[in-house]
Amino acid sequence: MEIDPDVLGRYRLKLRYKVCYHLGSSCPDVEDVVQETLIRFLRALREEKIRNPDSTAAFLSGICNNVIQEYRRRVWKEPLSDPDSGPAERAEAPEVDVFELRQAIAVAMTQLSQRDQDILRAFFLEERDKDEICRSMGCSDGQFRVALFRAKERFRRIYQEALKQKPPGGH
Amino acid sequence: MDKIQLHQNPLFREELIRDYLLKRLDADEAEAFESHYLFCDECFEELRASQSLMTGLGQSKLELRRVQDMLVLQFAGPAQLTRQSFELTELRRALQQKDTKVLIDLSRVTKIDSAGLGQLIACYSHVVKNQGTVKLLNPTAKVQTLLRLTRIDSVLETYYDERQAFESFNST
Repeated sequence: MEIDPDVLGRYRLKLRYKVCYHLGSSCPDVEDVVQETLIRFLRALREEKIRNPDSTAAFLSGICNNVIQEYRRRVWKEPLSDPDSGPAERAEAPEVDVFELRQAIAVAMTQLSQRDQDILRAFFLEERDKDEICRSMGCSDGQFRVALFRAKERFRRIYQEALKQKPPGGH
Repeated sequence: MDKIQLHQNPLFREELIRDYLLKRLDADEAEAFESHYLFCDECFEELRASQSLMTGLGQSKLELRRVQDMLVLQFAGPAQLTRQSFELTELRRALQQKDTKVLIDLSRVTKIDSAGLGQLIACYSHVVKNQGTVKLLNPTAKVQTLLRLTRIDSVLETYYDERQAFESFNST
Protein backbone atom coordinates (compact mmCIF):
# COMPACT_ATOMS: atom_id res chain seq x y z
CA MET A 1 0.00 0.00 0.00
CA GLU A 2 1.49 3.34 -1.10
CA ILE A 3 1.11 6.56 0.84
CA ASP A 4 1.07 10.06 -0.61
CA PRO A 5 4.03 12.23 0.56
CA ASP A 6 1.62 15.10 1.40
CA VAL A 7 -0.46 12.78 3.55
CA LEU A 8 2.69 11.56 5.24
CA GLY A 9 3.69 15.20 5.90
CA ARG A 10 0.33 15.84 7.57
CA TYR A 11 0.67 12.71 9.70
CA ARG A 12 4.09 13.89 10.77
CA LEU A 13 2.76 17.29 11.79
CA LYS A 14 -0.12 15.83 13.77
CA LEU A 15 1.99 13.15 15.39
CA ARG A 16 4.44 15.82 16.43
CA TYR A 17 1.58 17.66 18.07
CA LYS A 18 0.42 14.52 19.88
CA VAL A 19 3.94 13.68 21.06
CA CYS A 20 4.51 17.25 22.30
CA TYR A 21 1.18 17.06 24.10
CA HIS A 22 2.30 13.95 26.00
CA LEU A 23 6.02 14.57 26.41
CA GLY A 24 6.09 18.38 26.48
CA SER A 25 7.28 20.66 23.68
CA SER A 26 10.71 21.05 25.29
CA CYS A 27 11.39 17.30 25.03
CA PRO A 28 14.53 17.01 22.89
CA ASP A 29 13.48 13.69 21.35
CA VAL A 30 10.10 14.59 19.88
CA GLU A 31 11.34 14.16 16.31
CA ASP A 32 12.83 10.76 17.11
CA VAL A 33 9.55 9.54 18.62
CA VAL A 34 7.59 10.78 15.59
CA GLN A 35 10.06 9.19 13.18
CA GLU A 36 9.96 5.84 14.97
CA THR A 37 6.14 5.95 14.92
CA LEU A 38 6.07 6.60 11.19
CA ILE A 39 8.61 3.87 10.46
CA ARG A 40 6.51 1.30 12.34
CA PHE A 41 3.33 2.56 10.68
CA LEU A 42 4.79 2.34 7.16
CA ARG A 43 6.18 -1.09 7.90
CA ALA A 44 2.74 -2.25 9.06
CA LEU A 45 1.20 -0.83 5.88
CA ARG A 46 3.75 -2.60 3.70
CA GLU A 47 3.17 -5.88 5.49
CA GLU A 48 -0.59 -5.33 5.17
CA LYS A 49 -1.17 -5.64 8.89
CA ILE A 50 -3.99 -3.08 8.79
CA ARG A 51 -6.90 -5.11 7.51
CA ASN A 52 -9.68 -2.66 8.32
CA PRO A 53 -9.02 0.78 6.74
CA ASP A 54 -11.48 2.37 9.18
CA SER A 55 -9.18 1.52 12.06
CA THR A 56 -6.07 3.07 10.46
CA ALA A 57 -6.32 6.21 12.63
CA ALA A 58 -6.61 4.24 15.85
CA PHE A 59 -3.78 2.00 14.66
CA LEU A 60 -1.43 4.94 14.02
CA SER A 61 -2.38 6.55 17.33
CA GLY A 62 -1.79 3.24 19.09
CA ILE A 63 1.68 2.88 17.57
CA CYS A 64 2.48 6.41 18.71
CA ASN A 65 1.29 5.60 22.25
CA ASN A 66 3.56 2.55 22.32
CA VAL A 67 6.58 4.54 21.15
CA ILE A 68 5.86 7.23 23.75
CA GLN A 69 5.59 4.58 26.48
CA GLU A 70 8.85 2.96 25.39
CA TYR A 71 10.55 6.35 25.34
CA ARG A 72 9.31 7.14 28.86
CA ARG A 73 10.55 3.80 30.16
CA ARG A 74 13.94 4.33 28.51
CA VAL A 75 14.33 7.85 29.89
CA TRP A 76 13.21 6.65 33.31
CA LYS A 77 15.86 3.91 33.29
CA GLU A 78 18.65 5.94 31.72
CA PRO A 79 18.07 9.58 32.59
CA LEU A 80 21.72 10.55 32.24
CA SER A 81 22.92 7.96 29.74
CA ASP A 82 23.80 10.49 27.06
CA PRO A 83 24.76 13.77 28.70
CA ASP A 84 26.66 15.03 25.65
CA SER A 85 23.82 14.75 23.18
CA GLY A 86 23.09 18.47 23.46
CA PRO A 87 19.36 18.45 24.20
CA ALA A 88 19.30 22.18 24.99
CA GLU A 89 20.70 22.99 21.58
CA ARG A 90 18.20 20.76 19.83
CA ALA A 91 15.33 22.23 21.80
CA GLU A 92 16.20 25.76 20.72
CA ALA A 93 14.35 25.83 17.41
CA PRO A 94 10.86 25.13 18.82
CA GLU A 95 11.45 27.88 21.41
CA VAL A 96 12.11 30.38 18.63
CA ASP A 97 8.96 29.22 16.86
CA VAL A 98 6.96 29.63 20.03
CA PHE A 99 8.31 33.14 20.53
CA GLU A 100 7.36 34.17 16.98
CA LEU A 101 3.96 32.60 17.37
CA ARG A 102 3.45 34.43 20.65
CA GLN A 103 4.18 37.72 18.91
CA ALA A 104 1.54 36.98 16.27
CA ILE A 105 -0.89 35.91 18.98
CA ALA A 106 -0.25 39.09 20.98
CA VAL A 107 -1.10 41.19 17.90
CA ALA A 108 -4.29 39.20 17.31
CA MET A 109 -5.30 39.65 20.95
CA THR A 110 -5.23 43.42 20.54
CA GLN A 111 -7.88 43.01 17.81
CA LEU A 112 -10.35 41.42 20.22
CA SER A 113 -12.63 43.68 22.22
CA GLN A 114 -12.29 43.59 26.00
CA ARG A 115 -15.76 42.05 26.27
CA ASP A 116 -14.85 39.28 23.83
CA GLN A 117 -11.64 38.63 25.75
CA ASP A 118 -13.55 38.37 29.02
CA ILE A 119 -16.03 35.92 27.48
CA LEU A 120 -13.26 33.80 25.99
CA ARG A 121 -11.21 33.79 29.18
CA ALA A 122 -14.24 32.60 31.12
CA PHE A 123 -14.76 29.78 28.61
CA PHE A 124 -11.20 28.63 27.97
CA LEU A 125 -9.27 29.48 31.12
CA GLU A 126 -11.87 29.46 33.85
CA GLU A 127 -13.63 26.46 32.26
CA ARG A 128 -17.09 27.87 32.82
CA ASP A 129 -19.93 26.58 30.68
CA LYS A 130 -21.70 28.68 28.13
CA ASP A 131 -24.95 29.18 30.07
CA GLU A 132 -23.13 30.35 33.18
CA ILE A 133 -21.03 32.81 31.15
CA CYS A 134 -24.09 34.18 29.37
CA ARG A 135 -25.87 34.62 32.70
CA SER A 136 -23.01 36.34 34.50
CA MET A 137 -21.95 38.57 31.60
CA GLY A 138 -25.41 39.39 30.41
CA CYS A 139 -24.87 38.19 26.87
CA SER A 140 -27.12 36.08 24.68
CA ASP A 141 -26.32 32.65 23.30
CA GLY A 142 -25.80 34.29 19.89
CA GLN A 143 -23.39 36.88 21.24
CA PHE A 144 -21.39 34.16 22.97
CA ARG A 145 -21.12 32.12 19.78
CA VAL A 146 -20.18 35.17 17.71
CA ALA A 147 -17.41 36.10 20.18
CA LEU A 148 -16.11 32.54 20.24
CA PHE A 149 -16.16 31.79 16.54
CA ARG A 150 -15.00 35.26 15.42
CA ALA A 151 -11.96 34.87 17.66
CA LYS A 152 -11.39 31.33 16.46
CA GLU A 153 -11.40 32.55 12.86
CA ARG A 154 -8.68 35.11 13.62
CA PHE A 155 -6.52 32.54 15.38
CA ARG A 156 -7.10 29.96 12.65
CA ARG A 157 -5.59 32.45 10.18
CA ILE A 158 -2.56 32.93 12.46
CA TYR A 159 -2.01 29.21 12.61
CA GLN A 160 -2.37 28.83 8.84
CA GLU A 161 0.08 31.70 8.23
CA ALA A 162 2.53 30.15 10.68
CA LEU A 163 2.26 26.86 8.80
CA LYS A 164 2.99 28.55 5.47
CA GLN A 165 6.14 30.15 6.85
CA LYS A 166 7.54 27.03 8.47
CA PRO A 167 8.57 23.61 7.24
CA PRO A 168 6.02 20.83 7.83
CA GLY A 169 7.91 19.61 10.89
CA GLY A 170 7.17 22.78 12.95
CA HIS A 171 4.97 22.35 16.02
CA MET B 1 -16.73 10.22 21.13
CA ASP B 2 -19.56 11.20 18.83
CA LYS B 3 -17.88 12.13 15.53
CA ILE B 4 -21.11 13.37 13.97
CA GLN B 5 -21.75 15.74 16.85
CA LEU B 6 -18.11 16.81 16.67
CA HIS B 7 -18.64 18.11 13.14
CA GLN B 8 -22.21 19.31 13.44
CA ASN B 9 -22.04 21.02 16.81
CA PRO B 10 -19.17 23.56 16.91
CA LEU B 11 -19.72 24.32 20.59
CA PHE B 12 -19.50 20.64 21.52
CA ARG B 13 -16.23 20.41 19.58
CA GLU B 14 -14.93 23.55 21.22
CA GLU B 15 -15.64 22.20 24.70
CA LEU B 16 -13.95 18.92 23.80
CA ILE B 17 -10.89 20.76 22.46
CA ARG B 18 -10.75 22.99 25.54
CA ASP B 19 -10.91 19.98 27.85
CA TYR B 20 -8.27 18.18 25.80
CA LEU B 21 -5.91 21.16 25.95
CA LEU B 22 -6.50 21.54 29.68
CA LYS B 23 -5.90 17.77 30.08
CA ARG B 24 -9.35 17.29 31.56
CA LEU B 25 -10.32 14.33 29.34
CA ASP B 26 -9.85 10.82 30.65
CA ALA B 27 -7.35 8.60 28.83
CA ASP B 28 -9.97 6.94 26.62
CA GLU B 29 -11.56 10.23 25.56
CA ALA B 30 -8.18 11.77 24.83
CA GLU B 31 -7.14 8.73 22.80
CA ALA B 32 -10.40 8.82 20.82
CA PHE B 33 -9.92 12.50 20.02
CA GLU B 34 -6.27 11.98 19.03
CA SER B 35 -7.21 9.10 16.74
CA HIS B 36 -9.79 11.38 15.18
CA TYR B 37 -7.61 14.45 14.59
CA LEU B 38 -4.77 12.36 13.17
CA PHE B 39 -7.03 11.83 10.16
CA CYS B 40 -9.24 14.91 10.31
CA ASP B 41 -7.57 18.11 9.09
CA GLU B 42 -10.56 20.24 10.04
CA CYS B 43 -10.54 19.21 13.70
CA PHE B 44 -6.76 19.47 13.85
CA GLU B 45 -6.92 23.06 12.57
CA GLU B 46 -9.58 23.85 15.15
CA LEU B 47 -7.36 22.36 17.82
CA ARG B 48 -4.37 24.47 16.78
CA ALA B 49 -6.47 27.62 16.53
CA SER B 50 -7.90 27.04 20.01
CA GLN B 51 -4.44 26.43 21.39
CA SER B 52 -3.23 29.75 19.91
CA LEU B 53 -6.26 31.50 21.31
CA MET B 54 -5.73 30.02 24.76
CA THR B 55 -2.08 31.03 24.66
CA GLY B 56 -3.15 34.56 23.78
CA LEU B 57 -5.73 34.67 26.53
CA GLY B 58 -3.14 33.47 29.02
CA GLN B 59 -0.57 36.01 27.93
CA SER B 60 0.28 38.83 30.21
CA LYS B 61 -0.62 42.34 29.43
CA LEU B 62 1.79 43.92 31.85
CA GLU B 63 2.46 47.44 30.70
CA LEU B 64 5.36 49.53 31.88
CA ARG B 65 4.78 53.26 32.04
CA ARG B 66 7.18 55.93 33.19
CA VAL B 67 5.99 59.06 34.90
CA GLN B 68 9.03 61.28 35.54
CA ASP B 69 11.35 59.00 37.55
CA MET B 70 8.60 56.61 38.60
CA LEU B 71 7.81 53.26 37.05
CA VAL B 72 4.17 52.25 36.90
CA LEU B 73 3.37 48.59 36.27
CA GLN B 74 -0.18 47.85 35.26
CA PHE B 75 -2.10 45.03 33.65
CA ALA B 76 -4.10 46.00 30.59
CA GLY B 77 -6.54 43.13 31.09
CA PRO B 78 -7.72 40.84 33.87
CA ALA B 79 -4.66 39.18 35.38
CA GLN B 80 -3.91 36.50 37.94
CA LEU B 81 -0.84 36.56 40.14
CA THR B 82 -0.77 32.86 40.88
CA ARG B 83 1.92 30.19 40.89
CA GLN B 84 1.31 29.03 37.33
CA SER B 85 0.43 32.37 35.79
CA PHE B 86 2.40 34.03 33.05
CA GLU B 87 1.70 37.39 34.71
CA LEU B 88 3.78 36.37 37.71
CA THR B 89 6.77 35.70 35.47
CA GLU B 90 6.21 39.01 33.71
CA LEU B 91 6.14 40.89 37.00
CA ARG B 92 9.36 39.17 38.05
CA ARG B 93 11.06 40.13 34.78
CA ALA B 94 9.83 43.71 34.86
CA LEU B 95 11.78 44.47 37.98
CA GLN B 96 15.20 43.49 36.83
CA GLN B 97 16.00 47.12 36.14
CA LYS B 98 17.33 49.59 38.67
CA ASP B 99 14.11 51.37 39.44
CA THR B 100 13.72 53.03 42.81
CA LYS B 101 10.15 54.32 42.63
CA VAL B 102 7.77 51.60 41.59
CA LEU B 103 4.00 51.69 41.63
CA ILE B 104 2.19 48.41 40.96
CA ASP B 105 -1.37 48.89 39.80
CA LEU B 106 -3.39 45.88 41.02
CA SER B 107 -6.77 47.05 39.76
CA ARG B 108 -6.95 44.30 37.09
CA VAL B 109 -5.59 41.53 39.32
CA THR B 110 -8.55 39.24 39.90
CA LYS B 111 -6.74 36.52 41.80
CA ILE B 112 -3.61 36.30 43.89
CA ASP B 113 -2.14 33.39 45.84
CA SER B 114 0.87 32.89 48.11
CA ALA B 115 3.21 32.90 45.10
CA GLY B 116 1.76 36.22 43.97
CA LEU B 117 2.03 37.73 47.43
CA GLY B 118 5.58 36.40 47.65
CA GLN B 119 6.38 38.05 44.35
CA LEU B 120 5.12 41.41 45.60
CA ILE B 121 7.45 41.08 48.60
CA ALA B 122 10.29 40.01 46.28
CA CYS B 123 9.66 43.14 44.20
CA TYR B 124 9.73 45.21 47.38
CA SER B 125 13.00 43.62 48.58
CA HIS B 126 14.58 44.10 45.18
CA VAL B 127 13.74 47.80 45.05
CA VAL B 128 14.63 48.43 48.70
CA LYS B 129 18.09 47.05 47.99
CA ASN B 130 18.45 49.89 45.50
CA GLN B 131 17.35 52.39 48.19
CA GLY B 132 13.93 52.62 46.62
CA THR B 133 10.36 51.70 47.46
CA VAL B 134 7.34 49.90 45.99
CA LYS B 135 3.75 51.02 46.47
CA LEU B 136 0.47 49.48 45.43
CA LEU B 137 -2.41 51.09 43.62
CA ASN B 138 -6.09 50.17 43.57
CA PRO B 139 -6.15 46.54 44.69
CA THR B 140 -9.55 44.89 44.34
CA ALA B 141 -11.44 44.14 47.55
CA LYS B 142 -10.44 40.48 47.37
CA VAL B 143 -6.75 41.25 46.95
CA GLN B 144 -6.93 43.98 49.59
CA THR B 145 -8.34 41.46 52.09
CA LEU B 146 -5.44 39.11 51.48
CA LEU B 147 -2.93 41.94 51.79
CA ARG B 148 -4.45 42.84 55.15
CA LEU B 149 -4.65 39.25 56.44
CA THR B 150 -1.04 38.61 55.59
CA ARG B 151 -0.05 42.05 56.91
CA ILE B 152 1.68 42.83 53.67
CA ASP B 153 -0.22 46.11 53.65
CA SER B 154 1.92 47.21 56.59
CA VAL B 155 5.01 46.92 54.40
CA LEU B 156 3.61 47.99 51.05
CA GLU B 157 1.75 51.27 51.15
CA THR B 158 -1.53 51.14 49.28
CA TYR B 159 -3.18 54.04 47.43
CA TYR B 160 -6.50 54.40 45.70
CA ASP B 161 -5.64 57.52 43.78
CA GLU B 162 -2.79 57.59 41.29
CA ARG B 163 -1.99 61.27 41.81
CA GLN B 164 -1.70 60.78 45.57
CA ALA B 165 0.57 57.79 45.01
CA PHE B 166 2.86 59.88 42.76
CA GLU B 167 2.95 62.70 45.31
CA SER B 168 3.85 60.26 48.07
CA PHE B 169 6.93 59.18 46.13
CA ASN B 170 8.05 62.76 45.74
CA SER B 171 7.47 63.64 49.37
CA THR B 172 9.67 60.80 50.67
